[in-house]
Amino acid sequence: MSWIKEGELNIIERISANVLKAGPMPKHVAFIMDGNRRFAHINNMERQDGHTQGFNKLAETLRWCKHLNIPEVTVYAFSIENFKRTQEEVDGLMDLARQKFERLLEERENLEKHGVCIRVLGDLNLLPLDLQQAIAKAVLATKNHNNDVSETLITECLYSNKSPNPDLLIRTSGEVRLSDFLLWQTSHSCLVFQSVLWPEYSFWNLCEAILQYQLNHKSIQKARELHREHQASLQLEADRLCTAEELQHHGNGKPTDAHTRQEALLHYITCREERVQNFLTALKHKRDLFFHDLCIEATTA
Amino acid sequence: MVMLYGLLWRLLLLLVHVNRALVSWLRVRLQSWKSRLWERAMASLLLPLALAGFPEQQKKLNRTPGADDNPSHANGGPSPRLRYISDGMSLQKLPVHIGFLVTEEEPSYTDIANLVVWCMAVGISYISVYDNHDIFQKNHSRLLKEIERQQRHLMGGDGHPYNVEFLSNGSDKCHNGKKKSKVTFVFFVLFFPGAKTIPDPELVVKFGPVDSTLGFLPWHIRLTEFIFVPSHRDVSYKDLLGALKLYSSCQQRVGQ
Repeated sequence: MSWIKEGELNIIERISANVLKAGPMPKHVAFIMDGNRRFAHINNMERQDGHTQGFNKLAETLRWCKHLNIPEVTVYAFSIENFKRTQEEVDGLMDLARQKFERLLEERENLEKHGVCIRVLGDLNLLPLDLQQAIAKAVLATKNHNNDVSETLITECLYSNKSPNPDLLIRTSGEVRLSDFLLWQTSHSCLVFQSVLWPEYSFWNLCEAILQYQLNHKSIQKARELHREHQASLQLEADRLCTAEELQHHGNGKPTDAHTRQEALLHYITCREERVQNFLTALKHKRDLFFHDLCIEATTA
Repeated sequence: MVMLYGLLWRLLLLLVHVNRALVSWLRVRLQSWKSRLWERAMASLLLPLALAGFPEQQKKLNRTPGADDNPSHANGGPSPRLRYISDGMSLQKLPVHIGFLVTEEEPSYTDIANLVVWCMAVGISYISVYDNHDIFQKNHSRLLKEIERQQRHLMGGDGHPYNVEFLSNGSDKCHNGKKKSKVTFVFFVLFFPGAKTIPDPELVVKFGPVDSTLGFLPWHIRLTEFIFVPSHRDVSYKDLLGALKLYSSCQQRVGQ
């Protein structure tokens, strides 16, 4: 089954989409795709089939997001905790992932046509090596399909460094927790918990979630702004303290005038930003090298 | 065409707001209508029995929805402290650490103080309070005074008051109390270096219309259940108990 389900929206869906698009739209939506096993149980299917249906639903959801002009989607596919499941289920999930990433490489042109860029977040070292290699190939193959946006230092250091924080996080199947998914990045996101099981997710469920986002948009923007200002003032305060300490340390006991203090502060800020930039460049280089090495291993193996 | 869609969108939002306002108005009306009806029914049924002197029926009269909402020493029933303790013990599981996230613009100190007192009475050891503007953090002494006042009001002169220890950002003191009835009241902001000995909140009750955690303890809420209550203003014990019951019935698979 393909990564991108082809097809257009029907007339009612198109009208609804256009109405929603008149308001503020989330630029990055995150999904916790919960409910595959419950769906399988209810429909007397094998668990593995539930997961396969879940993947099909993902492909369909990506198509809806494309029609709604949502440029970025992150999904919670598998967690470290999920390794506790039975070996059969874990193997089944790994096989599904293998199949899908290999399919992704076959569909590379189609993905380029739709401008799809794949990023995989997390500690890939815990996955089987061949799957790591397939992922590395997929990530490198779709790397240049769009542009990057960078934010604060901690955000940069996380696995999700190239993505802006999600505007909207949707969790299906009725559970009301985050289960360790993107905790930092969703601190100011709109959280929507829906009781529908993931394989039964519909276009209207997505519209409902987006509507919730739109209703909360102003309050959340205000909160984000407040938070940003607060962070900026904390940073300035910290910079001032460090500068004052340095001046005291290097000075010869003479009181410094405002002009000297201001100059020293600006100089300190410039040096700090340069250090941060060097650190981030080194980190990015390390990450790119990780994926390149995996690909080289795969081709020589 | 674009303008038409814009108008339709505004209409849609208006309809949703009207719908929400109607639902919350109906909920309040229905509650007060139900409780008045119930009180009248009980009064008319039980007054003759009460006059005839049936002690069991007296207890039933005491247990009207009004009394359930906010038990206090004024009821003249069993000690409210015992009532709270038995409520806490009747739940399958009780959070060790509960968080109250207030997304409403103007917080009410009395209502938050009530919540804190009820939580302490029911047996919860750690209580966090958070609002987006850090109002409680900045005015924590006012909140603590309010908590003491409400403790006296809700518990009466019954027993010794709870020992509340207050922690805030930067503090690394956390005594695991050897004293009885020890409760730690915590204010958190994003980074809390001393929080190593404090357990993560198992339950966060969110008040207000904003569907976001607004920066509340991002690193500590990985397995936290969220329960939503429309407003913290005039929140009742029944609301809190309802949230605790919901929490006690939820199952976490933790990846399995």
